[in-house]
Amino acid sequence: MPDTATRPTAPRPAATRPLVWEEKWTLDKIVASVEDPQHQKIRLLQLAQNEYGFLRDEHMRYLADSIGTSYTDLYGIATFYAQFNLHPPGRHHISVCVGTGCHVKGAKGLMQKLTDILGIKEDETTKDHRFSMKSVRCLGCCGLAPLINIDEETFGRVKPTHLEGIIEKFD
Amino acid sequence: MAVKTKLDLNEMARIGMNSLESSKPQIIFGLGTCGVAAGGNKLVDFTREYTGYWQETGIQPQIVTVGCIGMCHAEPLVDIKLPGKPRVSYHNVTTAKMKRIIEEHLIEGRPVKEFAMGQLSDELSECEHGKLSYSWHYEDIPNLKELPFLARQVRIVLRNCGVINPESIEQYIARGGYRSAHKTLMDLKPQGVIDEVIKSGLRGRGGAGFSTGKKWQFAKDAPGDQKYVICNADEGDPGAYMDRAVLESDPHSVIEGMIIGGYAIGASIGILYVRAEYPLAIKRLEKAILQAREFNILGDNILDSDFSFDLRIMEGAGAFVCGEETALIASIEGKRGEPKPRPPFPANSGLFGKPTNVNNVETWANIPMVFEKGARWFNSMGTERSKATKVFSLVGKIERAGLVEIPMGTKMKDIIYEIGGGMQHGRAFKAVQTGGPSGGCIPAEYLDVAVDYENLQELGSIVGSGGMVAMDEDTCMVDIARYFLEFCVEESCGQCTPCRMGTRRMLEVLERICQGGGKMSDIELLERLSVQIRDGSLCALGGTAPNPVLTTLKYFRHEYEQHILNKKCPSSTCASLFLTPCQDTCPAGTDVPGQMQLVAEGRYGEAYELQRQDNPFPAICGRVCDHPCESRCQRNLMDQPLSVMMIHRFCSDKVLEGKGGYRPELGQLDATGKKIAIVGGGVAGLTAAFFLKRLGHDVTIFEAQTELGGMLMWGIPPYRLPRDILRWEIQQIIDLGVHVRLNTAVGKDVPFEEVLQKFDSVFLGVGAQNDLPMNLPNEDKPGILNGMKLLRQMNLGEKVDLGKRLLVIGGGNVSVDVARTAHRLGCEKVIIAYRREEIDMPAYPEEIGEAKKEGIEFYFLLAPEKILVEKGRATGVVFRKMKMDEFTKWGRRKPVPVEYETVTIMADQIVTAIGQQIDTDFAGDMADQFMDHRQRIAVDPYSMQTSHPRVFAGGDAVLGPATVIEAVAHGKNAARQIDHKLMGEDRLYRLQGLTQFEYSMNPPNNEEPLPRADILTIPARERVCNFREVVMCLDDQGAVMEAKRCLRCDIREGV
Repeated sequence: MPDTATRPTAPRPAATRPLVWEEKWTLDKIVASVEDPQHQKIRLLQLAQNEYGFLRDEHMRYLADSIGTSYTDLYGIATFYAQFNLHPPGRHHISVCVGTGCHVKGAKGLMQKLTDILGIKEDETTKDHRFSMKSVRCLGCCGLAPLINIDEETFGRVKPTHLEGIIEKFD
Repeated sequence: MAVKTKLDLNEMARIGMNSLESSKPQIIFGLGTCGVAAGGNKLVDFTREYTGYWQETGIQPQIVTVGCIGMCHAEPLVDIKLPGKPRVSYHNVTTAKMKRIIEEHLIEGRPVKEFAMGQLSDELSECEHGKLSYSWHYEDIPNLKELPFLARQVRIVLRNCGVINPESIEQYIARGGYRSAHKTLMDLKPQGVIDEVIKSGLRGRGGAGFSTGKKWQFAKDAPGDQKYVICNADEGDPGAYMDRAVLESDPHSVIEGMIIGGYAIGASIGILYVRAEYPLAIKRLEKAILQAREFNILGDNILDSDFSFDLRIMEGAGAFVCGEETALIASIEGKRGEPKPRPPFPANSGLFGKPTNVNNVETWANIPMVFEKGARWFNSMGTERSKATKVFSLVGKIERAGLVEIPMGTKMKDIIYEIGGGMQHGRAFKAVQTGGPSGGCIPAEYLDVAVDYENLQELGSIVGSGGMVAMDEDTCMVDIARYFLEFCVEESCGQCTPCRMGTRRMLEVLERICQGGGKMSDIELLERLSVQIRDGSLCALGGTAPNPVLTTLKYFRHEYEQHILNKKCPSSTCASLFLTPCQDTCPAGTDVPGQMQLVAEGRYGEAYELQRQDNPFPAICGRVCDHPCESRCQRNLMDQPLSVMMIHRFCSDKVLEGKGGYRPELGQLDATGKKIAIVGGGVAGLTAAFFLKRLGHDVTIFEAQTELGGMLMWGIPPYRLPRDILRWEIQQIIDLGVHVRLNTAVGKDVPFEEVLQKFDSVFLGVGAQNDLPMNLPNEDKPGILNGMKLLRQMNLGEKVDLGKRLLVIGGGNVSVDVARTAHRLGCEKVIIAYRREEIDMPAYPEEIGEAKKEGIEFYFLLAPEKILVEKGRATGVVFRKMKMDEFTKWGRRKPVPVEYETVTIMADQIVTAIGQQIDTDFAGDMADQFMDHRQRIAVDPYSMQTSHPRVFAGGDAVLGPATVIEAVAHGKNAARQIDHKLMGEDRLYRLQGLTQFEYSMNPPNNEEPLPRADILTIPARERVCNFREVVMCLDDQGAVMEAKRCLRCDIREGV
């Protein structure tokens, strides 16, 4: 469980590198695909994250310029919403539901066991970039608590002893 | 095809009905997110692969997907529908079950009764059209509508969930869909629509409960060229998921509601803000919107009217605060979701500054039904101020978790016990959390509350989005408060300092309390901060963030105090406050993992002595304890709990046989010269004597009977607790140098005042030895005996003539002990009559099971009413037949008498065993000052001291009939307190330091599933004529293997 700091602060790079041609082309397409980009900043960021897995500083600066707003504005949005990653995620993303229904049925134990197995705490990524882990509230399947999500798959009624078997399938 | 007229709707309905009542056999899979998470997709794959096999039989079933019926505890659900016959729902389906279901039901036409949950022979919902109802039904399969989970539900919002294919607009129309939209567009003016909604009494289902009609009126009246309606599908409350279920299972109901709302207000655009965590809901909505457009139900001039309306979907990005309407609007505008002050309200200035109406998914889904059946019908249900129904998500430690739609005003106890089935694993109910992080906890005392907006608010909670999380005795309420605060800290948008900083500070205080650093002043600090946060916050997130803390403080203050003053977590959750749950739950705090390790290493004698450090009766507890440690054993989460009690017995038996190996000596402290009298040589008294002697005092036990032992000797029969073992363990205490005066009843043979005068301290362990009277006439006649008294006589070896036919009244351990002993003494027929059901009997389930095996007959639901007397002797009892009525708030059904129905049981001898009470003779005239209003000895719970400064008490005398281990805990604690008072300091811990126990602290590697060792008994036939011990002990190998299952929860990093 995180202590009172809620999100890891993104380390600020010394200078941002210029974008290559493909990146500009992709981001331009994203801006063009959205009807009213000035008022759909969240959507833009969602599309950029879908494309690249996370939000790079350079991309956010480029998008900000494209739609006529500041980098700070986009950074403020990116850090407000839990969905956005500012760091490269693992190949597979584990979400441990810590909603109330799952909490009373031992979600903490699942998180702890995953930390034991993978060596990472929540909001962290394994060194080999295989997994990143987040806590999420709530997946809305409280009848099958406790739950974890890996990529698009949901696993219900999970016991700590099941976890090794579950993550084995994801390389 | 554009739907323009009613006839078009009828045509689509016909198509929909044909697919619902297909002429082909159907396999129906419930594939909401829950169904998928439970493994539903695997079942679909399995079924499709099977299809090849079917080509041989020529059967071509349809594979149909439906949404979620809300019975999450039964997922995965698969229904089989044969043409013209009702659907049969199968629950908890696996691929193995699937094979039989397909072969027997689908192909051969015979439902598999043992897998079936119920059949849909009667319409479950409040729909008017497209009802699914059959006059013919399968035998021996219950009607779904009669299952306790569904029986009390009134399904308006959930009308189509789990019934129709959410991707079929035709099926939606077949069930009455889009008729309301059509009717309102054709027949009503916008103001008429609003009037009807106001009349219906519908209140916002998102949580605030504001009158929906009034809110629409504001938006309609507001000037503006462009207006919006918004559906708030950012269901953020952890534990609430009814919006998800509706969106995934019946998306058109929301679309129709928004069409009607848009028309009423004058909005041409509607936006559905769906949280990102619901990808399936988004997919289903997208499809539904496309379909609606295709049939001209969305777009320009919808349904051939002048009204143009279209919908868009906006995906949330993971922020709880965006469920607040102004934050939601900001988010749609692409900004950070920070709430704005109101006024101006969104009705006047909302999205992009235009008049906007935001409603919750459930509110929108209600609207079509308001118009289908009328506002009067709608407000005929519910309470005076909270109309119609609400969908609740009943989750947590409850037996049957799922979505429940019930009329407002249903009592909470009925929701928890009747619909939800009570707590899992037979644990005791503690509280139900309603309303998510904005709500509060409701304890058992208030379960009578009729659930509606006002009543829950009076208790300090809210209805909120409808989440209900059931918590049992293993949940720590301080941890729950901490959990919700943690949530608010993370989700706070940060604008308001009281919310941003205040919740953080409160969290720090709660974390400190959970880690053992709490102070009593913390409670006042939390209350003060709560007021400041509530008053100083702009939006409801901050405004309601303190609620969980305030309600847990209000109803569970004692838990906070235990955390702060005793550094104890009564539910063994706050890991910093204890070493292991088993040790923490044991009233005597015995070191369970240490003993398990010693047994695993073959060092039985040392394990025995390690137990004796905290509990001088391992052999006895190893036979008669109710083992609370096993209920909290962490192995419960993996396979089965450790058989701790049996291992204690095993060690003791080994030591008694001389095969225990090395037995370290538990030392004593130097003599203190103080003299202590112990009145009553039962468990509490002997335990107090054991510790006080070792603390160096001079101890004398006064025992009224011929032998020591109390309930152990005179209550529990030898086939449960062999006498030689009992005497051996008691002797070990006496051998320490304790003085014993048998046949000496204080109050009779020795005046109490004399004892008080001659000794420095007195401990009262007099037990609860007298029977409770039935208070019926003729109770004193010969032929009726008291259970406790009879047990004493039988255990003393006195000859008692019980005749051939014995009737025992009562359902506790005394009753079962009397019955089983009488059976062994020659009674041929022994009957136990109890006034409730078997599940309510206080006797240990193991005892009841063994009694049944031995041939004892049980009659339930009989309450004694009259004693029959013949020639001055009682010959039988007339019982009033009872039936179980509604649930009380304590989770047990109330037995009520059945008029005109009695049962008469005749017997040679009748025994009453309906409860016990304290015999106050010990104190003579001084008795009154010691007793409390329940006729038990009153003591201060921490110091065990009575009203007299030199007199202490413990055990059954204080608790009423309780367990052995509780009496041991009392004896030990009293010894500590007596010693503390006499010596001026707390010295008990020094006794532990006298003996060292060393064993491996390497974490065991035993996390694969290992079954618990079986506990065997002598076959019933062989034991009913003698008093041989019934339960057999484990052998060496079995005991060591069982001990090795211990997960060693005591091994931690940094400990």
